[in-house]
Amino acid sequence: MMDDGDAAMVARVRGGDTDAYRTLVERYSANLFHLAYRMMGNEQDAEDVVQESFLRAFRQLKQFESRANFGTWIHRIAVNCSLDLLRKRQRQAGRTESLSAQPDDEIHALPSEGPSPERLLVNAETREQVNLALNQLTALERAAFVLRHFEEKSIAEISASLGVSGNAAKQSIFRAVAKLRVVLEPMVNSTP
Amino acid sequence: MNHLTEEQLILHHYGEAENAPAVAEHLRGCAVCRGQYEALHRTLSLVTAAPAPERSVDYGGEVWRRLRPELREEPRFQWRRYLRFPPLADWPRWAWVPLAAMALCVAFLAGRLWPAPSLAARGLSAEVRRQILLREIGEHLERSQVALIELLNTKTNGMVDLSMEQDLARQLVAANRLYRQTAAKAGDARMVAVLEDLERALIEIAHAASPISSTELANLRQRVDTDGLLFKVKAVDAQLRLKERDEARARAAKPS
Repeated sequence: MMDDGDAAMVARVRGGDTDAYRTLVERYSANLFHLAYRMMGNEQDAEDVVQESFLRAFRQLKQFESRANFGTWIHRIAVNCSLDLLRKRQRQAGRTESLSAQPDDEIHALPSEGPSPERLLVNAETREQVNLALNQLTALERAAFVLRHFEEKSIAEISASLGVSGNAAKQSIFRAVAKLRVVLEPMVNSTP
Repeated sequence: MNHLTEEQLILHHYGEAENAPAVAEHLRGCAVCRGQYEALHRTLSLVTAAPAPERSVDYGGEVWRRLRPELREEPRFQWRRYLRFPPLADWPRWAWVPLAAMALCVAFLAGRLWPAPSLAARGLSAEVRRQILLREIGEHLERSQVALIELLNTKTNGMVDLSMEQDLARQLVAANRLYRQTAAKAGDARMVAVLEDLERALIEIAHAASPISSTELANLRQRVDTDGLLFKVKAVDAQLRLKERDEARARAAKPS
């Protein structure tokens, strides 16, 4: 069931009160950004996904089932927007190019004195390595993995969200984890 | 019990193992599997530990400010506002003269101009249609690759439900036939050959039994990927994208 506040806002927007949409945007923006960032791996694309998701949702609000949950619905729209953009990016650049384009100068340029900068360095390096590993996945593998690992969705939910069979969703996760292990395990093993 | 597979360990990690108590029991008693599981757990914890950048408290407001100008309401056309004419009987007599002249002009211009847009469209469409077709075939090849990869990479020890893959294959067969005929008309023999092989493979997938046993699935895979079909599709797709890109560059460089 939809949150009462969401239901009321959706009804107002459908009735022509566009400004009521602001409440929904403010409520779900941060969550959508986190999802989009995990899917895309960079802030600019994640921002674009958030914007596009709310725009698509607004335009399709007439088709939205009022008994459904707005949060789940907008989440699914964001997954689809991310997949579209991810496929476009992979077509444009090719996975090999995106791998070789990973900038590491920034990490080494960070100061390494004192605990706080060290922490920053570790965080930045971890993020960089994880992005590097995630960039090796296909759009479907990445989407399935992000939904399982970060969003904690079940295999059934993932298959519904991505429009693939349960088996295909499961296999995508297996392949994603296998690829991540190849890139990240040396890093894990080198950590004392 | 044999050692646990990587797939079983992954499912157990995510709480989706089919027989979780048995897996847990095995892990307690088997040092090899426990070592594997701990390594997997450490790697996935590293992924979790990678921080996502934080947004400001007013992030929702920022999104809204960027979004608001895009949310234009559908303008409602108000006929009454534009049709608020006085009754015809009240019009002065002189008003009929310019009205009749205007109607004549409109009829003349409509007669002269009506066929013009379709001629222009015919003149433009050959090149535009070719570009659109190139792009559509590229999209089609990409979707076909996804369908083939899904099928070729499916791992199983038991029965597999292929209904989703079959739905996709059926859609792709219909589109593939059209593109193959178009390529034949254009005399592109290489494209025709690849699309013919692809069509055969898609028909195989669409008509396979479902659910299917792992042995039958292995046979199906062999039939589908004879002569490295996936590789050929990838190569033609890459070539098409390259051609599309070069043409776009050439158009951009062309002085208008």
